[in-house]
Amino acid sequence: MEAFGIRDDYADGAAGSSQNTLQLIAFSIDEQIYGVEITTVREIRAWNGATPLPNTREYVRGVINLRGTIVPIFDLRARFGDGQTNPTKNHVVVVMSVGEKWIGILVDAVSDILTVSRDDIHAVPEGNSNDTELLNGIVTHDSRMVGLIDLQAVVSGAKTDA
Amino acid sequence: MSDLDEFKATYFDECSELLLELEEQFAAIQDGDRDGDRLNAVFRAIHSIKGGGGAFGFDALVRFAHSFETLLDYVRDGKVELSEDVVVLCIRAIDIVADFVEAARQEQPLAPDYGAEEKAQFDALCRGEALAGAGAPDADDGLMDEFDLDFTPVMVNLEADQYEHPTTGASEQTVWTIRFAPFATLYERANDPLLLLRELALLGTMTVTAELAPIPALAEFEPFGVYCAWIIELASETVTEDAIREVFEFVDGDCAITIERSAAVASTLEPDEFPSFALLAEEAQAERTFIASGEPDEIIAEPALVAPVASKDVTGPSAVAPAESGGGRAVGMQSIRVDLDKVDRVVNMVGELVITQSMLTQQMDDAIRDRYQELVRGIEVLAQTTRGLQDAVMAIRAQPVKSVFSRMPRLVRELATRTGKKIRLETVGENTEIDKTVIEQLSDPLTHMVRNSADHGIEDVAARIASGKPETGTIRLSAEQAGGNIIIVVEDDGQGINRERVLQLARDRGVVGPDQQLTDEQIDNLIFAPGFSTVSEVSDISGRGVGMDVVLSNIKKIGGSVHVRSRAGRGTRMTLRLPLTLAVLDVMLVKVAGAPYVIPLSSIVETIQNSRADFGHMPSGGKVLQVRGDYVQVVDLAQRFAMVPAETEDNRFVVLCEAEGDSKIALVVDDIIGQQQVVIKSLEENFERIEGIAGGTILGDGNVALIVDVQSLQPGNAHRNAA
Repeated sequence: MEAFGIRDDYADGAAGSSQNTLQLIAFSIDEQIYGVEITTVREIRAWNGATPLPNTREYVRGVINLRGTIVPIFDLRARFGDGQTNPTKNHVVVVMSVGEKWIGILVDAVSDILTVSRDDIHAVPEGNSNDTELLNGIVTHDSRMVGLIDLQAVVSGAKTDA
Repeated sequence: MSDLDEFKATYFDECSELLLELEEQFAAIQDGDRDGDRLNAVFRAIHSIKGGGGAFGFDALVRFAHSFETLLDYVRDGKVELSEDVVVLCIRAIDIVADFVEAARQEQPLAPDYGAEEKAQFDALCRGEALAGAGAPDADDGLMDEFDLDFTPVMVNLEADQYEHPTTGASEQTVWTIRFAPFATLYERANDPLLLLRELALLGTMTVTAELAPIPALAEFEPFGVYCAWIIELASETVTEDAIREVFEFVDGDCAITIERSAAVASTLEPDEFPSFALLAEEAQAERTFIASGEPDEIIAEPALVAPVASKDVTGPSAVAPAESGGGRAVGMQSIRVDLDKVDRVVNMVGELVITQSMLTQQMDDAIRDRYQELVRGIEVLAQTTRGLQDAVMAIRAQPVKSVFSRMPRLVRELATRTGKKIRLETVGENTEIDKTVIEQLSDPLTHMVRNSADHGIEDVAARIASGKPETGTIRLSAEQAGGNIIIVVEDDGQGINRERVLQLARDRGVVGPDQQLTDEQIDNLIFAPGFSTVSEVSDISGRGVGMDVVLSNIKKIGGSVHVRSRAGRGTRMTLRLPLTLAVLDVMLVKVAGAPYVIPLSSIVETIQNSRADFGHMPSGGKVLQVRGDYVQVVDLAQRFAMVPAETEDNRFVVLCEAEGDSKIALVVDDIIGQQQVVIKSLEENFERIEGIAGGTILGDGNVALIVDVQSLQPGNAHRNAA
């Protein structure tokens, strides 16, 4: 399963909630809004600490217990290269499924559920390879930019750039 | 998966178990245990394999199993002596049955004549010939004289146990006359006329006459010929033709059935006196037909149907039914077949329950205790029940090591035959229970170890005599539980490890540097090094340089260790130390830089307060711990895991652990919290493997603790990060 279902599914629109629309969970890091497809999201929970993992990348914040399963938490801010988040009780972990695996991403806040048209998805401007790697596309909502996170890239990066 | 596929899968599962049982029983038989129950068990196993095979149309399997079964039946009746040769043949036959089963599973038919030789031997034995040719079989003449030609029919109780006859008084009854003539195919499909007749007997009062006239003279008797039919008179008030037909539904096409309705009669049957066997036998011999009727027991004369004539008792597959409905089944434990995944789900959920329960318990403070006494009591009961449940669930997964041990006797026999050595296998403690997952991982390593002992350890007969040892070498396989571990020992009284050769080879192959000095024990353990083989001539059994290193890696994979001790000329002892279960681990909970870690208790030797520990400093900046004259490499877990210790040096602790072999490692942690049992969880399921960490677990407070992988923190690895 493609994590986000967008790259492959632009045209056929089968993965959306209806014909040609896409529902997103929107969350924020600092002022910027990002989104992931709602169908991948399993749970949203407040930050309640994580057990740190030794010898791993700085954006892997550790692991939590999600009803008996151990789930790794990725610090999205750190993944974007902006340094580790200093999490408080107000920070949020969005748990989602990426392929067979369940992961959590640490974000500042979850803001909204957005419904956007697939036709409105823009390609990520070439330039910074980090952006093109981590984002699937960009949509505009209420005249604000929403970056569509490529979850597969967020996770798989953890394996390659050790 | 279609229903049929499912049935097939179940059948193959059963076959594996049955084959294992066959193996085990024959091992005992070969050791001289000629208990009749063993033969019955063997018989049942083969019969079940055949029966299932027949249902799925595995003809080749069924034909072979049928011959095997016939032979076993003869053996059981004492008509064929269970000599050493016959046992060896039977054991080979089990292999062949296993091959047939495997071929059926893979849907790849074997060569058409596969097993034909053994089958011919069975048939020859059944004809009373000596095994493997006292010359060419000359079956038709001559041989006959050797047989005891007495034919004694045997009475068979037609009714199921506890059956109460429905007809008692005199009333209007319909009498049905049924002629039942089975074809050969009926027997080939492992059906039993006796069962059909028994079922029929449930319908009413029944009188059975066997038509014995077609039985030919002995010389013309075909072993697999069918000569017998039955005439059944069934009297009942209610039974219909359809009901009768239904009884024969499963053998439709494999027999000729005629059903006629005779006149209605008033039932006036008086319970006959039960005739004596001897009397009946005489009668039968005199008349060659035989009728018996009576209440509550009907009797049927059952001549030899499938087997040849030289029989004193009932022979052929028809004898199976009484054996089964007799004591046999009650002896075995009742069990159900459950997918391991399902058990694992229960294990996991029980693990969660234990955690939730301990969380609840932790929530209780004095205020709650005072106010809600009932609630508190309930939680205490819950705690007990949960622990009980956990034990019970783990017991489900536990299995005796017997299932692995029982494969070894044959292996040893085969090795003995191939190498010309005389080897005896002793097993001790085979009822020791280990978790199923561990058992599965145990089979291969143990096979290699036993093989190694037989091949390299035990000397040939001449060498043994020359060194004043008994001709027969002994391999001893033992299992025992020691704390959280299972210790499995493979011992032999052979020549021991040739240390000079091992060391020489190790130097030649660069496993050991030219100047490196090794202790005897280190040399012995070199046999586990990859690509190592000490026998100059490579045998087809072991000695290809693969094997012992596989043992080590397999055992390490499941958190165990292997040890070898050897004394020149006296023997070798290999000790396997395995965790009792892979799912639950006894651990010591420690803190490193504020985060919880657990260390498997099985690897901990002792713990020492830092302030009391005797450290020495190395030029590299690393530390060593002096403990009872030994110097042990120190690994500071906080440093190793790139974290900042939360305690001052003096308040920290040293946990002395035993890593591989006898090598030790001293781990420095911030604090020791206590001991507990944890359920192992995978990190890889949602993430990836982390160096130095064997997995995770969830603590009573719901937090994740990481399991320290002591093996991978070995001194060699540790150097990189220490300092």
